[in-house]
Amino acid sequence: MLGRGLKRKLSDYEENMAGLSSAFDSSRNLPYPLKRQLVLNMCLTKLQTYKMLVEPNLHRSVLIANTVRQIQEEMRQESNQQPINVCPGITPSSHSYTGMESSGIPLQLPSGISQQESNCCDLRSVEDPIENSLLIVSDDDMSSAISSILKDLDFVEDISPPTCLVPTGDDQPKFPENTGLKLEDDRQDLKGAECVFGSFEISNSTSYLKDLAIDDIFEDIDTSMYDSDFCCPPLMPPRPPSLATEEPLKTFPSCNSSSASNIQICRTDLSELDHIMEILVGS
Amino acid sequence: CFTHYSAAISVLFTADIISTVEFNYSGDLLATGDKGGRVVIFQREQENKSRPHSRGEYNVYSTFQSHEPEFDYLKSLEIEEKINKIRWLPQQNAAHFLLSTNDKTIKLWKISERDKRAEGYNLKDEDGRLRDPFRITALRVPILKPMDLMVEASPRRIFANAHTYHINSISVNSDHETYLSADDLRINLWHLEITDRSFNIVDIKPANMEELTEVITAAEFHPHHCNVFVYSSSKGTIRLCDMRSSALCDRHSKFFEEPEDPSSRSFFSEIISSISDVKFSHSGRYMMTRDYLSVKVWDLNMENRPVETYQVHEYLRSKLCSLYENDCIFDKFECCWNGSD
Repeated sequence: MLGRGLKRKLSDYEENMAGLSSAFDSSRNLPYPLKRQLVLNMCLTKLQTYKMLVEPNLHRSVLIANTVRQIQEEMRQESNQQPINVCPGITPSSHSYTGMESSGIPLQLPSGISQQESNCCDLRSVEDPIENSLLIVSDDDMSSAISSILKDLDFVEDISPPTCLVPTGDDQPKFPENTGLKLEDDRQDLKGAECVFGSFEISNSTSYLKDLAIDDIFEDIDTSMYDSDFCCPPLMPPRPPSLATEEPLKTFPSCNSSSASNIQICRTDLSELDHIMEILVGS
Repeated sequence: CFTHYSAAISVLFTADIISTVEFNYSGDLLATGDKGGRVVIFQREQENKSRPHSRGEYNVYSTFQSHEPEFDYLKSLEIEEKINKIRWLPQQNAAHFLLSTNDKTIKLWKISERDKRAEGYNLKDEDGRLRDPFRITALRVPILKPMDLMVEASPRRIFANAHTYHINSISVNSDHETYLSADDLRINLWHLEITDRSFNIVDIKPANMEELTEVITAAEFHPHHCNVFVYSSSKGTIRLCDMRSSALCDRHSKFFEEPEDPSSRSFFSEIISSISDVKFSHSGRYMMTRDYLSVKVWDLNMENRPVETYQVHEYLRSKLCSLYENDCIFDKFECCWNGSD
């Protein structure tokens, strides 16, 4: 809501993004894969923002998700057409930025992680600062946007950056691994885009209460310690909520792994308690 | 009370932002709905020989609060009072009727004039106090005396609880008895007299919401054939349906789509192809659609492409990424036929 008479100012983030998108619009020299990556980033960021809203706009979300799917389909087709095996003699780092496009493997640039490393080094020598910032934005933003979409309803952002792989020299043996990771990202990404609408269902359904089986809510809790006559608090900190699940209520800490040691510790407490009781009662 | 609502003096409150406009059939009345849930109706200036050019002016005729903000407790959602659409009913007597809708609820309003009042009641005084019946010795007939024009708006029907998603269109049928309301995924058919029931005539919600790729963006009844209506989608297609063919019109009778021009393809092609408004011509032979950059006129007899295309602001095509970034690419525009078309 705009305040009365207040001028809206662009936040720093918005200013940066505005700069990038006007670069997209005005620059004809921006390589296609870079443009595509920028659009993909913007889409994922928007979807992420919409997930935070109580009632996201369905029309917009559908349009953005379709754009993401279209880009991913394009990327997938390109990766299927290009051979995955790279000749030993060619290292990714040897591809210059413009050379990447002409060699016909634009796909590797945005998502191959070790190449990201090597290309970041290359980029510092590239004169165009916009391309620099684009690549740097793309790596972090894409992985964080993808992972946050995957978490979906839990809104838990377990952002662990993809394993930073060895520098350029060891690229060769790691390469298939990167591609595997990239394809996996793709699948997760697509699944993430599709997962967007899961939340619409839940928020708009008036019968969601009926869908939950009460027992399911509590299945994480190990109740064995409560079967005894005593009760003690778990001494281990609760584990983080489980991942990749549609259950919005699975946030109860799981006590399974710590229950055994808890019981042991509690038994020690119990014997001390008995001892104290004996003294007090005087028996 | 907004008694002095003049276009020249407008204090910029967010709630004053006009969200929809609609002329009535004669053009004498112009209704506007705003973000604050208010409806303001303007009336055309009558012909005046001393001011020959005043005929084009519109003055405030009536103002009323149509919708209030509501809270859906079950879903913990606030329902906006912003008026999405207004549609006039054809005039059948001295009063005017219109339908106004927000995201969830449609209301039928009656706007009537009162320019006379009765004087000389037997059972009450001029100031309204009841008289003691035993004191009345003679009877008289009340007489009507002119008074300052008063325009009253009263809600006659409230059509609620039929839409899960946000209502984007309403359209009065040519039978003057029914109307449709459309949200992102469903279209419902109502009878103007019946508020507790509506029929679902289109439902495009997939069994699995994750398969959703298209939403309904606008819908309208044919001006002459009360069994025919069209609805447009976010993918730039229009479907014409005939309610005689089946109760649930999930299968269209006609499907209008222009093949994509491969030379103008971009990442934003689908987004800008989303149709924001569809309107039949008065003859019923053509329909007009508005997408982000253009207006297209379609002949109902030709489904594979429009007969006319007008680029409204082609200069924006080179700025699509910036417009996408600041969400302006999702702005919706309406279109309208000339009265003689």
